[in-house]
Amino acid sequence: MPNPRTSQPDAIDAALSACADGNPELFAPVYDSLAPAAYGTALGVLRDPDHAAEVAQEVMVEVWQTAARFDPARGSARTWVVTLARRRAVDRVRSEQARRHRDQKDTDEKGAGGEYDMVAEHVEQRLEAAGVRRCLGSLTDTQRDAVMRAYYGDRTYREVAEDLGASLPTVKSRIRDGLIRLRNCLGVDHA
Amino acid sequence: MPDTDDLTPEGPRDLIAPYVFDHVDDLERRQVERLVAADPDARRELDEFREVVAAFTVDTAPPASMRSQVLASITQPAAAPVRLAEKRHKQSAAGRPSAARRRWVTLGVAAAVAAGIAVPTSIAVQSHSQQQQLQAEADVVAQMVADPTSRVLRAEVEGGGEVSALVSADRVFLSTSEMADADADSDYQLWVIDGEQISSLGLMRPEGGSTSALVEAGSGSTLAVTVEPRGGSEQPTTDPIVAVEI
Repeated sequence: MPNPRTSQPDAIDAALSACADGNPELFAPVYDSLAPAAYGTALGVLRDPDHAAEVAQEVMVEVWQTAARFDPARGSARTWVVTLARRRAVDRVRSEQARRHRDQKDTDEKGAGGEYDMVAEHVEQRLEAAGVRRCLGSLTDTQRDAVMRAYYGDRTYREVAEDLGASLPTVKSRIRDGLIRLRNCLGVDHA
Repeated sequence: MPDTDDLTPEGPRDLIAPYVFDHVDDLERRQVERLVAADPDARRELDEFREVVAAFTVDTAPPASMRSQVLASITQPAAAPVRLAEKRHKQSAAGRPSAARRRWVTLGVAAAVAAGIAVPTSIAVQSHSQQQQLQAEADVVAQMVADPTSRVLRAEVEGGGEVSALVSADRVFLSTSEMADADADSDYQLWVIDGEQISSLGLMRPEGGSTSALVEAGSGSTLAVTVEPRGGSEQPTTDPIVAVEI
């Protein structure tokens, strides 16, 4: 199973930090290591290769531009890039949704559940490759469902609560408890 | 028992998980950001959750053409926009800002950072003179944010969203948030109304609900946005969806 992380995370973290000094020649190896994470993240959320490439390109320029803000004490360069990419991709989903809403107010109401089911299989295949799937097995069914729904960019947790007919506190704690179990299973520990 | 839990002290802590998935609204986002700035435990939880979410990403080779495009567009020194933003922070901290002004400064810095990012992103398509103009605008906005006599005006946009106007002397830095995109066959157009005179200040095309414009508008004039056929009109053809009296 391919490990999604780079083989030398510390070297990449250091290379990214060095980019803060503004030498563009230092960026090429950083791009090569991190662009696949930016593109993979955008593709996971947007599920459209062209849109994902646009977002990933913006993200990689942002990575260069804001390299000075990368703080290796708070996480790896890859995690930082994924965070930036996810935010941009989710923004893109939301603005697309707003546009579609106006464009086709009267067309059939796309049930969130339907959309979820449609893409769930695709996402699970991707997760298989990411090695996260094993850890999803450590979650309860409701935690897993809440985390997987939250992973999509197209539903806020309020909407997830509506979809599931559950209260907001319930959904929030399911997502949080799910993440805590995943954290433990994946061995993520910043303490 | 619906939303009341958001008001309890545990509220923001519980929001960290939705926050890492970018599933919170702007108010909740700020709550979480305040919490993690003040509470190292919360910050550690956020950082750990981010790493969990990052583990969901399957690294995927992007299109080969992206590499040359990104590398070609990064000719600007990386640290510059960040320094710009920090400078703004320092300048604005010098005065004794009101609560509204502090809010604006936060917004202004965010907008400035966004502008800083936008400058180099645009290099691929912008000419050198356009880049210089964008940089010059960012510098002007920095001065405006630092101006202790500047005022902030806000107005709701019909159909959703908000417009904020930072007014300093005859300059206005207008920024929108959560504004819907215009329909495919129309554009938002910004106008300045001065007595009988209505002049176009150009089109506004929000991305992700946000856009900004640095314009000149004297005291007593009104800035207004209308929806016009794509490409804009000579004079407004519809009623304003938002108007701000300067």
